[in-house]
Amino acid sequence: MSTKEQRERIELLQGTLDLLILRTLLLGPAHGHAIAKAIEFKSDDVLQVEQGSLYPALHRLIKRRWISAEEGTSENNRRAKFYRLTSQGRRQLALETNKWDKLAGAIARILQPAEQEGES
Amino acid sequence: MRRRKHILDNLDQDIRDHIERETQDNIGRGMSPDEARYAAVRKFGNVTRVKEETRDVWTFVWLEQLLQDVRYGLRMLRRNPGFAAVAVLTLALGIGANTAIFSVINGVLLSPLPYKDPKQLVIIKEHDSLPNVRDIQRQTRAFSQGGGINVEPMDYTGGTEPVQVHVGQIDAAFLETLGAQPMLGRIISPGEDVQGGPRLAMVSNHFWQDYLGSDPHAVGSTIQLGGNSYTVIGVMPASFAPPAEHADVFVSLSVSDPRGGAERDLHFLHTYWRLKAGVTLAQAQADMAAIDRRLAEQYPAEEKERKSQLVPLHEWLVGDVRSALLVLFGAVGLVLLIACANFASLLMMRAVAERQELVIRAALGAGRGRLIRKTLTESVLLSLLGGAAGLLFAQWGTSMLLALRPEKLARLSGIHMDTRVMLFVLVVSVLTGIAFGMAPVWIAARADVAEALKEGGRGTTSSTVGHSVRKLLVTSELAVALVLLVGAGLLIKGFSRLRSMNPGFNSANVLTMYLQLPTTRYGEIPKQNQFRRELLARLNSLPGVQAAMVTDIPLGGNYVGHRLVIDGRPPVAVGGEPLVQTLSVMGDYFRVMQIPLRAGRDFTPLDREGQPLVAIVNEEMVREFFPHEGPIGVRIRWAGDTGPPQWMTVIAVVGDVKHSGLNQRADPAVYTPFSQNDERWRRFMTLAIRSRDASPGLVEEVKKQIWSLDSQIPVSDVHAMDDLIAVSVAQQRFNMLLLGLFAALALILAAVGIYGAMAYSVNQRTHEIGIRTALGAQRRDVLRLVLRDGAKIALVGIASGIAGALALTRLMAGLLFEVKPTDPATFAGVATLLALVGFAACYIPAHRAMRVDPMVALRHE
Repeated sequence: MSTKEQRERIELLQGTLDLLILRTLLLGPAHGHAIAKAIEFKSDDVLQVEQGSLYPALHRLIKRRWISAEEGTSENNRRAKFYRLTSQGRRQLALETNKWDKLAGAIARILQPAEQEGES
Repeated sequence: MRRRKHILDNLDQDIRDHIERETQDNIGRGMSPDEARYAAVRKFGNVTRVKEETRDVWTFVWLEQLLQDVRYGLRMLRRNPGFAAVAVLTLALGIGANTAIFSVINGVLLSPLPYKDPKQLVIIKEHDSLPNVRDIQRQTRAFSQGGGINVEPMDYTGGTEPVQVHVGQIDAAFLETLGAQPMLGRIISPGEDVQGGPRLAMVSNHFWQDYLGSDPHAVGSTIQLGGNSYTVIGVMPASFAPPAEHADVFVSLSVSDPRGGAERDLHFLHTYWRLKAGVTLAQAQADMAAIDRRLAEQYPAEEKERKSQLVPLHEWLVGDVRSALLVLFGAVGLVLLIACANFASLLMMRAVAERQELVIRAALGAGRGRLIRKTLTESVLLSLLGGAAGLLFAQWGTSMLLALRPEKLARLSGIHMDTRVMLFVLVVSVLTGIAFGMAPVWIAARADVAEALKEGGRGTTSSTVGHSVRKLLVTSELAVALVLLVGAGLLIKGFSRLRSMNPGFNSANVLTMYLQLPTTRYGEIPKQNQFRRELLARLNSLPGVQAAMVTDIPLGGNYVGHRLVIDGRPPVAVGGEPLVQTLSVMGDYFRVMQIPLRAGRDFTPLDREGQPLVAIVNEEMVREFFPHEGPIGVRIRWAGDTGPPQWMTVIAVVGDVKHSGLNQRADPAVYTPFSQNDERWRRFMTLAIRSRDASPGLVEEVKKQIWSLDSQIPVSDVHAMDDLIAVSVAQQRFNMLLLGLFAALALILAAVGIYGAMAYSVNQRTHEIGIRTALGAQRRDVLRLVLRDGAKIALVGIASGIAGALALTRLMAGLLFEVKPTDPATFAGVATLLALVGFAACYIPAHRAMRVDPMVALRHE
């Protein structure tokens, strides 16, 4: 049963996962695990990403040439694949962020008064 | 592609690294290594699916998966050849039969006629005379063009042997109306199509090949037709033939038969008309009615009863074949339905058997869509194979249909498998695969992974859904098979009634052939009769031979009618006299044909020229015109005679003859002696020759006798009377054979279906049966248990089949001869047959169940 709930949540995140990855990579190249960690940490663990779902998203972004992948060595000298934001990805991020802000703002404006009404 | 491969290459490593890192983190948080690894894997999710989805980002996924599924499907089929063979064969039979019939429908009903703008072409059902055709051409506001044709056998004497050829006597507009263009030379112009015009001929392509040696310079040469020289002015292309007539040569009617062409009441032309653009059939019909009225006013003596009916050419040509073909198409569709039901039931059986595999796949992370696609690929693959095999069946079936086809179909060319037919097969196959492949998918989709895994492959209770669906399928198969069997049964019964109809004569050992005397040497009646008498004398001197002659032999396709005046009856308006069939005979025609003499005396050689005129009538004539008093001694004459009335005395009554077909009523008929006939155009005759045994040399012997009298007389239409009867019922035979074949197919498929279902169910219940036997059930009880199951299916199937048949057989009422569509005997017989077949199909698995060894069965896990 639990697997089913999780899957639904991931599907909800699907569209925004790309945005979160791009935003995380703005701070510098990172490997897959680090990206997952960063998203969880920064959202105060609210966003529990099923980590596997990161990979299809990463490859989707590579295919669109918004990020690139390169081999490198990690902190403790182990081989790792690093993902880096491309300039095209940077533009896309700005665009998507803008869109997201508008969307979030609009939804918030709709939801806010309703909550107040409910309380009063 | 390279980029994709490079990036994907390390995906496994990337994921392993990722999980390793997470594990390390977890250990850092104080978990034990095992715990840490477990948590990391859990957090990551389903590795297989992640890999698959990641790869999917980079591929034309569906294409790759399709190839994979196809490869897998083929492997599955190879592993299970029995299943594959049965499934493919089942579909191939259904699809093959459908394709064959569709080829015929395509050629006959769907393909346009081979003429320019064929949709504008109409015919006037009634034959007409040339003067009337000319008047219609002048007066019409609905037709842009129109013309007529009459086919006249004439002897062509240019070659080594005199041969009879069919000459299409036309008016100049005929070829143009059909849009025919000559391949060489030109066609006749209106200015040449007049009485006394030049003798010009346009030859058909096959005449050009057979008799003119395909000479490219044939135009300008002369040919001898009926004793006259004609100049060839054109050669028609091979693609052209008149819609309903067979003609080797075309000549102007006005030129070749100026007298016949000028007679207004000689209605012998078959006429074709082209509607003006934008004119509807109803408008044209109204216009035609107005013309008919004017002609009737203008020529009351000849045209008083005019009523010209327009029929679109295609409809007229296809005619009653259409309804037969549609019934057959419906029937063959039902066969396909049964085949599909069998196919679906096979797939479902296998789906149940493969459930375990599907479940494991689902548990390993296969998406539901992916599973559906895999199953569908397999069933579409199977149905495509079935379609391909079906094409082979169809190829064979179409040639069989062509061999069986009645003459009416033979005229319509273009029955073959073309791209349209191929497309039809492709669509049918793929749709079958998808529609009936969905059944097992549906079962698989309902499978609850956890439940199924727990069940551990025993598969006892969980397959009940599939089982009841399969029962339903088999029940419907039986019902549909019953409908087809009833249809076939009705046709068979009707056909046997038709064949057992007494034609009114004895056809055994009677040979017929047609002769026509050339006008040049036999223009006068005495000359004609001299030839006839001499010929009969020679033929009758052959050992074991009795010969006579008649104008039109029964079932030979020719018919002449005249209007009749009966002496002493109140006068009837001119043109309103009753129409009766008229025949001239010479020799002991009634004795040769064994047509019974009911009253009076037969003609004798003394009833000849210069003697009192005599006539013999048939029984239908008595029923219609002399219901109370006997006809013998009554005087009759032909209407419209000029000069002093030529009264004939009726001297006898003979039995009715089915002249136009076994399923047609006999018309009133008057027989007169050839020698008292005063119509010069009756230069033709059909010999009726009865021999003790049908010796093969007889035809040659008769020809020798004819040519010893006159070597220039062509002989044609040589037939055994039995063959003429067979040809006359060819359409009914065709319908019966095909529907019978389809019904047999349906019966076999349905039997296989019910057998499969019962065998499977016995197999599934081996365990249960073992327990029952162990607990003391007798073999008889086991047998009853299984048979009861089968009987339930069979009874429901038969009952619903009867209901369906009652509703559907009404549609074929037009194809039946003297059998009601609800014929109780047929229904009862067919239901019994199906019940027996159902019982036999159940008995084999039931028998097997009976012998189940309880020890083995209980171990059967």
